[in-house]
Amino acid sequence: MILEQLKKAGINLVASLPDQWLGDLIRQCEADPSITHIRLAREDDGVGICAGAWLGGRKAALVCQNSGVLLAVNALGGIAFHHQIPLLVIAAHRGHWDDNQYYQMYKGRICEPVLKAMGLPHWVIEGPEQLSIISDAARQAYLNRLPVVVLLRKKALQ
Amino acid sequence: MKRLALAKLVKARVKADDIVVCGLGATEAAFKEAAPINPTYYASDPMGIWASIALGLALARPDRRVTLLAGDGDLLMNLQVLATIAGAPAKNFRIVVFHNGAYSSTGGQPLAGKPSFSGVAKSVGFDWAREARTEEEAGKQLDALFAQPGPALLDVWLEDEPAPTEPPGPLSQVEVRTLFMKSIS
Repeated sequence: MILEQLKKAGINLVASLPDQWLGDLIRQCEADPSITHIRLAREDDGVGICAGAWLGGRKAALVCQNSGVLLAVNALGGIAFHHQIPLLVIAAHRGHWDDNQYYQMYKGRICEPVLKAMGLPHWVIEGPEQLSIISDAARQAYLNRLPVVVLLRKKALQ
Repeated sequence: MKRLALAKLVKARVKADDIVVCGLGATEAAFKEAAPINPTYYASDPMGIWASIALGLALARPDRRVTLLAGDGDLLMNLQVLATIAGAPAKNFRIVVFHNGAYSSTGGQPLAGKPSFSGVAKSVGFDWAREARTEEEAGKQLDALFAQPGPALLDVWLEDEPAPTEPPGPLSQVEVRTLFMKSIS
């Protein structure tokens, strides 16, 4: 499960903004006494919290929708990337073939090209059998001193 | 009240092992002039994100007091962060707002609206949020702020003064953050 992967990577602080697909993960973060869960109102605050935590020696992850990744582009580029601060972003990859709402579609279309333009490593997790990528991606972030974004399809979040 | 006077009042109350996150531009210039001895992380671009960075630091270092010196334009840019801070387990985290109602570093353009940061903080769940408008009042309220468990916020209204133009420092952001991390490790 995803939370186990975060713990395996040494992450014990999670800042989240809900998405329909992220309900289970956020509930698990809330319920787990070993996780400090911070409720966001906007995703770039989550980038700031994760960055600040790392400055103080604590590993953290931002959990949000891929539209939140788009919103947080300036914080990811200006703080995490520019200051070489590693953090992990776990994002629901809305707006692809596994989604069914018109208004989600732009997210699926532009999120990966934007990440590519930013030079940020990202991985797409297709299903539950690939969840071990999460702790590997976190290690990649810490070794690179850069943020890494993991985008999860619906099947990987069910 | 001028911003240097506030910076000196803050400096006098910050312990040597306290961590300060200091907003960019005029706030930075004032705190540097006040010559603090504690580890201080001076903000750079982008604006709007320094309150959340300071919160993250406070969550990572519950053994140290973490104080954010927030520029008003910086805090206004992501005002919703106060709701996130209000709900966070951060007893060691305090905010002092340097509130002159203008973007000093870019020529003194007024802020949008007339925000009361203490009013917003209270309305989103801060137990302790106050304001001060004179030097005497600011001194008293800073004492009260540091006597409170966080998260707590003091909004200090300042005169609008021109900001000194700072030349770029010799160190990159990566070098600055590396030295800062070393200073608190």
